[in-house]
Amino acid sequence: MTRKVVLSLIIGVLFLPFLPLLIWSFAQGWYFPQLLPAQWTVTNWQAIFTASTKVGQGFVQSLAIASLATALALVVGLPAGRALGLMEFPGKGAIKLFLLLPIIVSPLATLMGIQFVLIRLGLSGTLLGVVLVHLLPTIPYMTLVLSSVYANFDISYEAQARTLGASPLQVLSQVTLPLIAPGVVVGALFAFLISWNEFLLTFFVGSGRVLTLPMVLFTSLQGGNTGLTAAIAITSILPALVFLLFSSRALSDDAAIGGLGDV
Amino acid sequence: MSELGYLSLQQLTKRFRGVPAVNDVWLEIAAGERLSLLGPSGCGKSTTLQLIAGILRPDQGQITLQGRLLNRLPPERREMALVLQKGLLFPHLSVGENVAFGLKMRGVNRVEREARTLALLDQVQLTGFEDRQPTELSGGQAQRVALARSLVIRPKVLLLDEPLSALDANLRGDMQTLILRLQEETGVTMVIVTHDQSEAVVMSHRIALMFDGCLRQVETPEGLYQRPGDASVARFFGGVNFFTAAADHHRLTLAGGDVLTTDFPQQGTVQVTIRPECIHLLADQICGTNLLPVTVSQNRFTGTQRHLTLQTPAGLELQAWVPPSQNWAIGQTAFAHLPADALWSFPTPTVPAPPQSVPKALSP
Repeated sequence: MTRKVVLSLIIGVLFLPFLPLLIWSFAQGWYFPQLLPAQWTVTNWQAIFTASTKVGQGFVQSLAIASLATALALVVGLPAGRALGLMEFPGKGAIKLFLLLPIIVSPLATLMGIQFVLIRLGLSGTLLGVVLVHLLPTIPYMTLVLSSVYANFDISYEAQARTLGASPLQVLSQVTLPLIAPGVVVGALFAFLISWNEFLLTFFVGSGRVLTLPMVLFTSLQGGNTGLTAAIAITSILPALVFLLFSSRALSDDAAIGGLGDV
Repeated sequence: MSELGYLSLQQLTKRFRGVPAVNDVWLEIAAGERLSLLGPSGCGKSTTLQLIAGILRPDQGQITLQGRLLNRLPPERREMALVLQKGLLFPHLSVGENVAFGLKMRGVNRVEREARTLALLDQVQLTGFEDRQPTELSGGQAQRVALARSLVIRPKVLLLDEPLSALDANLRGDMQTLILRLQEETGVTMVIVTHDQSEAVVMSHRIALMFDGCLRQVETPEGLYQRPGDASVARFFGGVNFFTAAADHHRLTLAGGDVLTTDFPQQGTVQVTIRPECIHLLADQICGTNLLPVTVSQNRFTGTQRHLTLQTPAGLELQAWVPPSQNWAIGQTAFAHLPADALWSFPTPTVPAPPQSVPKALSP
């Protein structure tokens, strides 16, 4: 019973701030001291689906960039996490610290240099350039999550599978990946959401030509249309909620081992 | 059993950070043979097994199966199967999928896979378990599934690494019987790693005893009890009676008197051992030779035996294990009969230097 009360309290505190946002998106003027708007409208939500607000375009670009950044972070993070989680080698602590640097150091400090390099490579203002720069904050999270996933993984499963006739590739696809899947989902979720919500890096490297959802939101905020801004904000939260619901199912699967560990 | 040399290890050496874990091991195993790698923990027996399985690469030496060099072959192509102590059933697969794993990896079609899986689950007495999850199994059941999973691929060599040490004593006996029966039915060559000498004795045709990475003696279980290569081997197999004697051909002069031995003739100072269960205790001097007058100084009842400590007037101490029906009082005098064929001597009275394992290990 108390558990339920605490749970609903937590949910309430977490979701209460979204309530005004929701009201704003349906309001046609909402002024002090009104408790609720005098008039309701759906024009803001209709506007989202028109091309002029560029919400659809931003949604698609954000999705593409976040998916690509997540996939690339996985490609780097899986072997790196394996090495850091399972092997002992000199300089391991230094490498872990080095990995954390992009999180510790403010992106503003490094952006000038990055922008300079990307302009030279002709990647400034391109989708690929934004994907690459999104790897900066996603790879450290991905690698750290996966290294603790691998640290909890019993590597003798792999030897066992080999002696039963599985090739190294079969071991990876049939044994290792299924067993560490919950951890991979967590890492991928982190990476996707970091990339999805990224503003500063996109703002600089995208040079206004790459329009992700946060950029659209920012533009709308500057435009001063509160109702439309609220609708866009809710739209940009939706994927995070969907992913969380989807992954919480995968994470509660008891049959899978090597889960979160000491993340 | 056919000729030796079906599976052969030559000069096998594996070092970890320069320290040899397996040192110059030579071993010939016959087709269909059950061989135990026996030794205390850390003696290199598991490392040897992993070298055979291909999980580890040797630093030196060769492993051949039917004359084919295995050194560079990855584990999945060695036609062997390994069962580990923990069973290691894949937790994301059902029991049936676990057993079928090796067949699936080999691309065997679904119909044959299912038929062979069900047949093997039958053989390990787990009929109807194919849809269960590994978490629903007891330790013994999990180990039987692991066994089925290894045998379903019809390996040429079955490697078992302490497969029963995680099970409780009652279950262990049943599992030993099951493994022996499966080995006899399939005729698979079997190498089993264990630290338990009684398990090695029950499970194997021959035992390869390892100390400190070196092969000490390769013998039948009977041979290791009756003809241990040196005092440390005898001690590992429960030997408790060790004394020095002066040898003159078949005559050994002990502190308590002279005895005769059927052991091959030796000269000079030797170390003599006799198994405690081989010593008979008599009230009267009925037969002529190999009798030593003794006093009973301790009598411990163990349930199936009485462990007696005997003293000769000259200060020689003997341990004798006699049937529980023979109850001797402390201080009672008697005669200990040391049968001539039970006395076994080693050339040196101290623990010998590490053996030159090449010629010795090769002799079966």
